[in-house]
Amino acid sequence: MSGKEFFVNRYEQLGWKFKDVELRQAIRINVTNAEGKNLEERLRSLGVQLERVPFLETGYWVSSSKVSVGATAEYLLGLYSIQEAAAQIPATLFTALQNKTVLDACAAPGGKTVQLADLMSNTGVIVALDIKKRRLAALSNHLERCHVGNALVYHLDARQASRLNLKFSRILLDVPCSGNFAADTEWFERRTLKDVERNARLQREILTEAVACLSDDGEIVYSTCSLEPEENEVNMDWAIKHLNLQIEEIDCHGQKGLTDVFGSQLDVSVEHCTRIWPAETQGFFVCKLKKRAGKR
Amino acid sequence: MKPILDFAFQFGAKIALNAELMVKKGGRYFLLNENLKRLIRRDFYYAGTYLGKVKNGKFFPSFNLLAMLAKGEANKIVVDRKAAWLFICGRDVFRRGVVAVYGSRRKGAYTLVLNEFGECLGFGKITHGLDAEETQVVVKNISDVGDFLRREV
Repeated sequence: MSGKEFFVNRYEQLGWKFKDVELRQAIRINVTNAEGKNLEERLRSLGVQLERVPFLETGYWVSSSKVSVGATAEYLLGLYSIQEAAAQIPATLFTALQNKTVLDACAAPGGKTVQLADLMSNTGVIVALDIKKRRLAALSNHLERCHVGNALVYHLDARQASRLNLKFSRILLDVPCSGNFAADTEWFERRTLKDVERNARLQREILTEAVACLSDDGEIVYSTCSLEPEENEVNMDWAIKHLNLQIEEIDCHGQKGLTDVFGSQLDVSVEHCTRIWPAETQGFFVCKLKKRAGKR
Repeated sequence: MKPILDFAFQFGAKIALNAELMVKKGGRYFLLNENLKRLIRRDFYYAGTYLGKVKNGKFFPSFNLLAMLAKGEANKIVVDRKAAWLFICGRDVFRRGVVAVYGSRRKGAYTLVLNEFGECLGFGKITHGLDAEETQVVVKNISDVGDFLRREV
């Protein structure tokens, strides 16, 4: 159960007609570092044309550029980050991040960690974990480049986060996933349904551990760049049934989560999730979870 | 903490660091805030603001530390746009690219290199007095922010 035809057929069953897409490069301004620095004008003077991403406050598409946006002084000084547009959504869904204790459970290479720090104006604490030590170097470089000063980084599996003996009021679960064809040209050759199912199991384990570390009134934002419902809506349906979580309504770019997945009816609240089929952005899925009132 | 203070001294800079908020791991120095200090465990990989590392007895500053030094009194040169670009590509600074000098102009002194916006791009060593001729290299590049790209290769 693999191959392009197999997956494209699945997407059609879910209501989306496959089309090839060309991803647009996007950047995100690090407001804490760039404030008052007239960054847009500086980039324009280098030949970088930007277009505001309509659903993001600090995100821009790179319409054209005479230089590599990953090699300008402004980039190296941490005034902006290169971050795919849909991937900029999850961190913005938390309420009141400043001075909070935040867990970024699968943090490397650190794009969202830096975004969290920016949204927190470097207040509070971000605890950033990653299971792969090699990826922690990239995360550390990212934190240094962007002058993040409120993060603690540990080499730790997200499934062991409770070893930290901390309760978090905000938890970002940008979980390991199967990815999607828009971000990987060989995706259809590489992926099988078995991979999807294996990732879905891993994601449930991470979710379960996250709930153990979540304060009673805390928020979890769960995201993947997978289009496969097993890693998204089906997992959220499982989470509300097994982890006493409820799905919060969110207001962001994308479509409602699917509640009919290959003939299976999911909890109606799963439609509060957001699914983004690839177009100008990669495929993406995001939702916000809280502990169910009365069962904390 | 001594390596950091000694490093700052080379630039004619003073830096006030609270020793109780400093942590060291594997030769790397980090500056915490009170919140981080309260929560940190011994097995951290990275924490707070990275200040630099000691390797083979030599101190290598972070770009955070250089930016901190650049905010106060220190040896600094401001370079024009072209010189700034060449500097972050790892090149040395010619006299003609220098638009302002603060602090020491003496050969052998260390100086921070800033762009026209006052942002610290790195540091170098003054190889000729900063009153040298236009065509002479006056600051030898020791470290620049282009290092973030070179680290990834």
